Amino acid sequence: MMKAIVSVKDAVKNYTLGKVVVPALRGVTLEVGAGEFMSIAGPSGSGKTTLLNLIGCVDTPTSGTVEVAGKNTRELSERQLTDLRLNTIGFIFQSFNLVSVLNVFQNCELPLLLQKSIGSDERKRRVLELLDKVGLGDHVKHRPSELSGGQRQRVAIARALVTRPQLVLADEPTANLDSVTGQNILDLMKDLNRTQGTTFIFSTHDQKVMSYANTILRLADGKLAAGNGATAAAPHVAGAPA
Amino acid sequence: MSRLDTMRVSAQIAVRNLGAHRLKTFIVGGIIFFGAFLVVLGNSLVESIDNSMSRSVIGSVAGNIQVYNATSKDQLAVMGGMTMGDPDLAQIDDFAKLRATLLKVPHVKSVVPMGISGALVTSGNTIDIALERLRGIVRKELDAGTPKDVATQRQLAAQLAAQKDHVRQIITVLQGDMKNMKAIVQEQAVNKEDVEVIQKSASDAFWVDFDKDPYGALEYLENHLAPLAVDADLLFIRYVGTDLGSFSKSFDRMKIVDGTTVPPGKRGFLFSKFIYEDQLKLKSARRLDKIKEAKDLRGETIAKSEELQRFVRENTQQVREVLLQLDALKTATFRAKLQKELALPADPKAELGALLAQFFATDDANFQGRYDFFYRELAPDLELYRVRIGDILTIKAFTKSGYVQSVNVPVYGTFQFEGLEKSALAGALNLMDLVSFRELYGFMSDEKLAEIKTLRASAHAKEVSRENAEAELFGAGSDEPSPAAPGAKAPGGVGAKPGKAPPRHIIADATPGVNPELPEISSPLAAKLRREEARSRVFPPDEVERGVVLNAAVLLDDPKYMRATMPAIVKQGEKDGLKLKAISWQESAGLIGNFINLARGVLMVAIIIIFTVALVIINNALVMATLERVREIGTLRAIGAQKRFILSMLVVEAVVIGLLFGGLGAAAGAVLVKIIGAVGIAAKSDVQFFFFSGPRLRPFLNPAAVVAAFVIVIFVATISSFYPAWLAMRVTPRQAMQEEE
Repeated sequence: MMKAIVSVKDAVKNYTLGKVVVPALRGVTLEVGAGEFMSIAGPSGSGKTTLLNLIGCVDTPTSGTVEVAGKNTRELSERQLTDLRLNTIGFIFQSFNLVSVLNVFQNCELPLLLQKSIGSDERKRRVLELLDKVGLGDHVKHRPSELSGGQRQRVAIARALVTRPQLVLADEPTANLDSVTGQNILDLMKDLNRTQGTTFIFSTHDQKVMSYANTILRLADGKLAAGNGATAAAPHVAGAPA
Repeated sequence: MSRLDTMRVSAQIAVRNLGAHRLKTFIVGGIIFFGAFLVVLGNSLVESIDNSMSRSVIGSVAGNIQVYNATSKDQLAVMGGMTMGDPDLAQIDDFAKLRATLLKVPHVKSVVPMGISGALVTSGNTIDIALERLRGIVRKELDAGTPKDVATQRQLAAQLAAQKDHVRQIITVLQGDMKNMKAIVQEQAVNKEDVEVIQKSASDAFWVDFDKDPYGALEYLENHLAPLAVDADLLFIRYVGTDLGSFSKSFDRMKIVDGTTVPPGKRGFLFSKFIYEDQLKLKSARRLDKIKEAKDLRGETIAKSEELQRFVRENTQQVREVLLQLDALKTATFRAKLQKELALPADPKAELGALLAQFFATDDANFQGRYDFFYRELAPDLELYRVRIGDILTIKAFTKSGYVQSVNVPVYGTFQFEGLEKSALAGALNLMDLVSFRELYGFMSDEKLAEIKTLRASAHAKEVSRENAEAELFGAGSDEPSPAAPGAKAPGGVGAKPGKAPPRHIIADATPGVNPELPEISSPLAAKLRREEARSRVFPPDEVERGVVLNAAVLLDDPKYMRATMPAIVKQGEKDGLKLKAISWQESAGLIGNFINLARGVLMVAIIIIFTVALVIINNALVMATLERVREIGTLRAIGAQKRFILSMLVVEAVVIGLLFGGLGAAAGAVLVKIIGAVGIAAKSDVQFFFFSGPRLRPFLNPAAVVAAFVIVIFVATISSFYPAWLAMRVTPRQAMQEEE
């Protein structure tokens, strides 16, 4: 196994709703190696999104440690976490979350602008190359509202990859798409994973989607379910609905 | 470079957001547009008014700074204060000393002595004038001293006949008045004696007897008839007593319109052209002028303006003033001319009053023709002004201590302050020589003191103390000095004569510096002498210079030193033993000076209200926009945007709206100011005339207003985006992932 890019140890996350403490994660330990194509699966409320947030440095654990690219997220300031997200992680959202007033090119360029260190020629080259790769080379000037759902998600994927992150997190990336489009998107992600070596972690509760993953991590009630660890792309890995 | 790029992207997002939310942009932008527009336009207007007003106020009477005695009870108000009365000012004893002190202060260019007060003037009564003329002719005719040839004899006889005719004409008019009065009031309400007087005066028998005893008849007419014709007005006039030479030199706005200026060292009065026209002109003619002005300058029509209709109505109803001026000959001429003008058949019996009424009943179509006809055909035969240039004006004023004092001054001419010609506010001030002013105000001139001495000597006047007055008058007391009158020994009592030991011979009630009432001299000879004196007496410059003044106008070589010069004047005064108060022209202009501050205040309040509303609305709109954009902001945060970026994005958005619409609004305001500046705003009233200091205000663009508009707009935009920006910064990246179900 390659060097771990994400290492989660006994991560616990509690949310407080008023006076009630709601445990979302009750101690999860896992490691994700570079180049993985991993799926976090489980019914809603099982803690998928919470785990993804911890890995994505959007949140920090109540106890336990989350290390991303060798950095313990609990020890980082808000700004450092933001920089970590900017430079190491790409995000793909269920509802695509493009900036509606910017066109396709500008949406993709946005993270590079936030990085501030890349010149405009380099930015242009990278954005166009990626848009070509996701099949939107002809749509650079389009606004998100002029695109179909699948096209929008392709733009989102291009945006997530434009900074050449070590890790791409996708939260239910196909949930808002029809099954054919969803499969295309997954094919694209898988292809990018293979050709660029980018690590992908995506959450889903769809069996078909899970089947694309090299590794499936099943969550139930905030804990890893039994029977995890399958590394092969086994379409019919037995779930463990407890 | 990259920071600039980030700014670029946040600006881009901001601008595109504006386009995406057009309604919000339109509302917020509209308010900002209007605010900036108002700042530029309002400020430019107020500044222009301030500028032209200050030029005319400083250049007409106020000067840059007014100086007066610091121990005064009231504040000096050159152009009329908040109260009707004149402010109570303490005097400055020696103007020459004051001037010397003031000229020591840097930047002081010139100093003009002043005193402002008001008095009553009786304008001429038509019948009095007619009777006085008649008396004059009678006197000449009866004057046995001068030998007369036949031609003179005949000429005098003709003059006498014509003048008698005029008086009889006036009596006819009065008879008509009496008839009208009887028609509206009950018989017994009409004073029987009055009826008798008029009947007697109108009777042929009276006029047959006239030649037998002309003086007796004249006396009867003067004493019994004249009081019935009450067409004389008591005029209250305000005047500035000043050194007219240095006044006209220092105040460049002052221009002589008719007549000449008062020669140096002479008594003299200059009427403000405005007062002369407004108060002293024949009312019918004045109303015609006013209608013409309203029509020509303001485009009003008689058909639409109630005021003009009122003028026309008054002119048709008040023809008496014209009638009284006409003798039989002129009446016939007027009748013939009017009948021709009105295209009526010639009828020598037609009543002139009715013809005049018909003539004055003008409408928009015939007004110009009638106006021209009036001035071409009728006016040359009329006395258009109650006081003519060259007349002696008798001014009665209450002195500071409450006496009535009267002074005769010749009227040399009329003047106006350029730019303020039509303004009742500034045009209300007339000008008078300083010596006459001092007398009216109750300060003694050397000349007056000497005159009192002579009069007293000639009349063998015994000076009476107030305490002993009763005894003196009724002879009930003894000659012994009253023990109850120690106070009568007034310190420095004016005119206390040495050699007359008893205290009762101290002049009554003399307020130091104030002369007592002079005995009225009523004989024709004395009156003539006084008139002669008023015209010819020349005062030495020293008397003008070294006398009392109430205030002084200070003109500076550069107006921008006004604020610094005021305390310098006070300081220099202290050094030289004068307690002085220096006030700016704005303060001394009294009410008027405050108007501009009021206008500025109103504008300021309007701007504050507009921008407060703008602040609330922009804030509200941005909060709404922020709440709508929670997911977008969360996404930006998730993909690595720092809070700072979010903040700058929102602030830039607000500032872009501000700059864009503020710029448009300021530009629109500037363009409008330029257009108005080219066209000018016509003054529609006396007040506006004053503010514009001329018939049109030509506002100039105030660059400071444009800068101010931008500063305010950017400030308001930034402030109003703070709260929404704070809200936006609290959006967490997690909120990007929340799905609204």
